[in-house]
Amino acid sequence: MTQASPEQLDLSACDREPIRTPGSIQPHGFMLTLSPALEVLQASANLAQWAGMDAGEALGRPLREVIGEPAHARLALELGSGTLGARPLYLGTVTMENGRHFDVLGHAWDKLVIAEFEAVDRPRPADFRHLYPLISDFLARVNEHASIPALTDLAARHVRSVTGFGRVMVYQFDPAGHGRVVAESKDADYESYLGQSFPASDIPAQARELYTLSPIRLIQDANYVPAPLLPPHNPVTGKANDLSFAALRSVSPVHLQYMRNMGTLASMSVSLLVKGKLWGLISCHNTSPRPVSVEQRTACEQLGQILSLCIESREDASELQFRLEVRRIMVELLGHLTKGSDFLENMSGVFPELLRFARAGGVAIVADDRILTYGDTPDEAAIRALSTWLAVQGHVEVFHTSHLAAVYPPAGAFTRSASGLMALPISRIHKHYLLWFRPELVQTVEWAGNPYENKIAAPNAPTQLSPRTSFAAWRETIHGHSLPWHSAEIELTTEFRSALLGIALERAEQMAELAEELGRANKELEAFSYSVSHDLRAPLRHIVGFSDLLLESAGTEDADRRQRFLKNIKESARLAGKLVDDLLSFSQMGRAALRPTAVDMNDLVSACIDKLGIDIGQRNVDWHIDHLPTVQADPSFLHLAVYNLLSNAVKFTAQRDPAVIRIWAEDGPEEAVFHVADNGAGFNMDYVHKLFGVFQRLHRMEDFQGTGIGLANVRRIVERHNGRVWAESRQGEGATFSFSIPKSSPTP
Amino acid sequence: MLKPILLVEDNPNDLELTLIALSKSQLANEVVVVRDGAEALDYLKRQGEFASRAVGNPAVILLDLKLPKVDGLEVLKEIRQTENLKPVPVVMLTSSKEEQDLVRSYELGVNAYVVKPVDFTEFVRAIADLGIFWAVLNEPPPGSRRYVKPK
Repeated sequence: MTQASPEQLDLSACDREPIRTPGSIQPHGFMLTLSPALEVLQASANLAQWAGMDAGEALGRPLREVIGEPAHARLALELGSGTLGARPLYLGTVTMENGRHFDVLGHAWDKLVIAEFEAVDRPRPADFRHLYPLISDFLARVNEHASIPALTDLAARHVRSVTGFGRVMVYQFDPAGHGRVVAESKDADYESYLGQSFPASDIPAQARELYTLSPIRLIQDANYVPAPLLPPHNPVTGKANDLSFAALRSVSPVHLQYMRNMGTLASMSVSLLVKGKLWGLISCHNTSPRPVSVEQRTACEQLGQILSLCIESREDASELQFRLEVRRIMVELLGHLTKGSDFLENMSGVFPELLRFARAGGVAIVADDRILTYGDTPDEAAIRALSTWLAVQGHVEVFHTSHLAAVYPPAGAFTRSASGLMALPISRIHKHYLLWFRPELVQTVEWAGNPYENKIAAPNAPTQLSPRTSFAAWRETIHGHSLPWHSAEIELTTEFRSALLGIALERAEQMAELAEELGRANKELEAFSYSVSHDLRAPLRHIVGFSDLLLESAGTEDADRRQRFLKNIKESARLAGKLVDDLLSFSQMGRAALRPTAVDMNDLVSACIDKLGIDIGQRNVDWHIDHLPTVQADPSFLHLAVYNLLSNAVKFTAQRDPAVIRIWAEDGPEEAVFHVADNGAGFNMDYVHKLFGVFQRLHRMEDFQGTGIGLANVRRIVERHNGRVWAESRQGEGATFSFSIPKSSPTP
Repeated sequence: MLKPILLVEDNPNDLELTLIALSKSQLANEVVVVRDGAEALDYLKRQGEFASRAVGNPAVILLDLKLPKVDGLEVLKEIRQTENLKPVPVVMLTSSKEEQDLVRSYELGVNAYVVKPVDFTEFVRAIADLGIFWAVLNEPPPGSRRYVKPK
């Protein structure tokens, strides 16, 4: 059997090519398949060339008779012991009776013992010792916290020095399977492929799979004529032999053509497996055929494994770093989001963080008909259409693409700002989305040869296989793509979503809390109403008590006593009435809506003083009133507050003649502060904290009549205007009551 | 001699009604009246204007809950935290049936909590019962004098 001519090969079958069962081997050695009793079941057709016996003649004979007694003695124990595994094991170097030397590899696979004999020049066994320094040198350098590019570069140089290939490259595969040369070590007269890309089609799926299983593959001479196995089928299974792990396994004729087209007559590939996946390859080329001994291959294989582990740890570290950073931003985001009550407002408040979170160029929030955008985004109409499309797609989890126009053609109109899209549905019910847009990243890919050549050249002859013939650098500019979304970004976006839902839940809880607070307010109201009944009950009790006493003393002559009882009754009734009024106004204070408007405090104060006329009576009161500013406040509430303060001042200066009451203000940029000072009785500062509480009195009833509600009213009114209220006093020397009204509008 | 009853009451109407009720109960104890919490503590601790009063604790303290400055609960707390005052019976006399006042009073170690009845006859009976219950059970202290703070 000869090499298949290109004309016979079906291009569409390329990825179905039976690379594991080629039925033949490379001819730089021979292969025997053996039964457990070491009887030859199959032999490669080139047996005669190496061992002097025709393959057909060897079949059915004991191994001893085919390779001679000394070689058999050397190998029989290990080949026959049943301990061989699926990976070829170097069993030693033997010399045949014809004087040829062979390195022998044995493995058990496909229900056979497979013995491979690779021709070598030396009679002594392969010596692995001189390779250790190379590996340990690599290891030593690996420990220097080298980056992945530095490591691959180092690996390429080491592999070249171990094997002597003219060009050693390290490929890295991208998610689409395209390989890019990330490191290269070469002789001066070799063309450089560094930085160039090779299309995924160069290495079909089943080849990639085999690379994952078997870490090394050598083609000593691309012009080789394969040596078929005789008989062509595995006698145990009745099928073509599975040569997946055989070192001599023949390769696809398409690949050999590819090599010849490339001017490469020898090649070796070492798989780089990271987390069980094919991360890349160490790929070696030579313009002339090149043998690579088993010890060299072993060294390269080990180097490949070490490099893989290093890449894995570096990738893990940088992945972790990246995730940490994204998570840090997310936590920061969430911190902001829990604050306000309005979701949209909250979200738009953290737009810059949202951008950083997804390394996006623009971000949009779509909440039904409302659209808020930040950064570089498509226009509103486009976003609306896009969100409708998303809704129709029915994505409930994160949707992402780095090539939006490919799945949503209208996006072709705004590739510049939105080639990449990550969409987070933030409601299962409503059409609410958080959209991140990534701008177009115009990429120039330098292909090692036009990867589209075949398609272009033979559109009507898809069955015609024509491996690439040109490897001249071919530049392609890729449009409509963004930087791909990192898996951490996608995963954390999903997490972000659950956190958002968490916030929503928390908000629901807050609502529940609010309800609870309402409950508390109700309780307060109950307590309040009890206080009402308490303070109301006192005058009532007095009225009843003194009436009874009045009746009791009806017969007595003590007129003064009766007079006092009558006075007490009248006073108590008056107090009860006032209490009811005051409490009513106090309870209204908490509920009534404020209607803020511009209030001229000069007018307000003079109106209050007019109203105080009756209380003042014939008393001598000196009013000192500065010019007062205008404030934004509810005029009727503010009137009540000021009236209470002035009334207090009048009340507590009752024993002064003249009473001096000063009113002035400080008009600041943030707030206006008003002061009411008197020269009255004052109060003990020790009890200032009680001053503004309901039913708190710092003076005895008979000294200063009052319901103990006035100042509580003042506080409530001022606080509802977001202001503060405070007081200072020196007992016996008067008091100063102050309050502030902020310049910003009060809460309605 | 009987120990005095200390009445802490700020409301002049309540004061008069309580004094009348106590007099109706035929109790022999003198009644010392103070008008707020701070004064009550001054009396009990023999400080301020009461620095020179005779040694000895009252038979019972009738304490109004709502008082200006230092309120009844604060007075009660102070009494229970002062070594020589601890054993003095305290009756909280109040218009409030508010649960938290009651709970707090008992937490602070009040001996009785009496809500002043609105009906005067009932009021008189309640005060009389209180006086008899607390004041009569005590040995009369020597040299107590009636003290009513002048207006």
